[in-house]
Amino acid sequence: MSDPATPPTMAIVLAAGTSDRLLPFATLVSGAVAMGYEVHVFASYWGLDALRRSRPAEAHPPVSPGHGAEGAALERTLVDRHVPGWRQILGAAKRVGPVHVYACSQSMDVLGLRREHLDDLVDEVVGIATFVDRTRGASATYFV
Amino acid sequence: MSAETVPPASSPRRVIDARGSWCPGPLMELIAAIREEDVGTELELLSSDEGSRKDVPLWLEKAGQTLVGMTSEGGVDHYLIRKVR
Repeated sequence: MSDPATPPTMAIVLAAGTSDRLLPFATLVSGAVAMGYEVHVFASYWGLDALRRSRPAEAHPPVSPGHGAEGAALERTLVDRHVPGWRQILGAAKRVGPVHVYACSQSMDVLGLRREHLDDLVDEVVGIATFVDRTRGASATYFV
Repeated sequence: MSAETVPPASSPRRVIDARGSWCPGPLMELIAAIREEDVGTELELLSSDEGSRKDVPLWLEKAGQTLVGMTSEGGVDHYLIRKVR
């Protein structure tokens, strides 16, 4: 990549747990590492819930409510077209470049989750201050 | 879109069939494959994703790799790539 000594940093807060958010999120992470970014992901609430180990990595969570027939059609298309699961896409991105996935400690308390309940994609359990500190100077920040 | 044919392989060519894969699938498959190969290897990437027409040449330029040629036929794009570093 262009300058491995000082990679640009991308910060993403992932709070959503539906396919219409998780797939664009995983796509964003993939593009970012491909283009040389170091990516930090803070998984909270439904975004953390979606990282439960008990959920199959290849499965597609439901689409957000309120999309009616179009949402149902999208859910079918994801299956019919054999679209990889968002966690499979995220895993592939982690093999391409630096992607750090943090579990929000507050969300773990609220959802009653322990580290062993979470996918191996999760690197660390941290508080928000740690995430904010590690993404100091990020050139791109997203909330999903 | 170039109408020229992809030149014949000068060495064994690895084909990456990413047809039907959604953006950025073809690019991610290319990155994974090119890392495994030796310098000098030619790779042919097959893609039906329109976004890859911009993304793949952009990534190759940033990564310092060579796009030897690109052709399109029947909705499938063929990228001929040489790993040079």
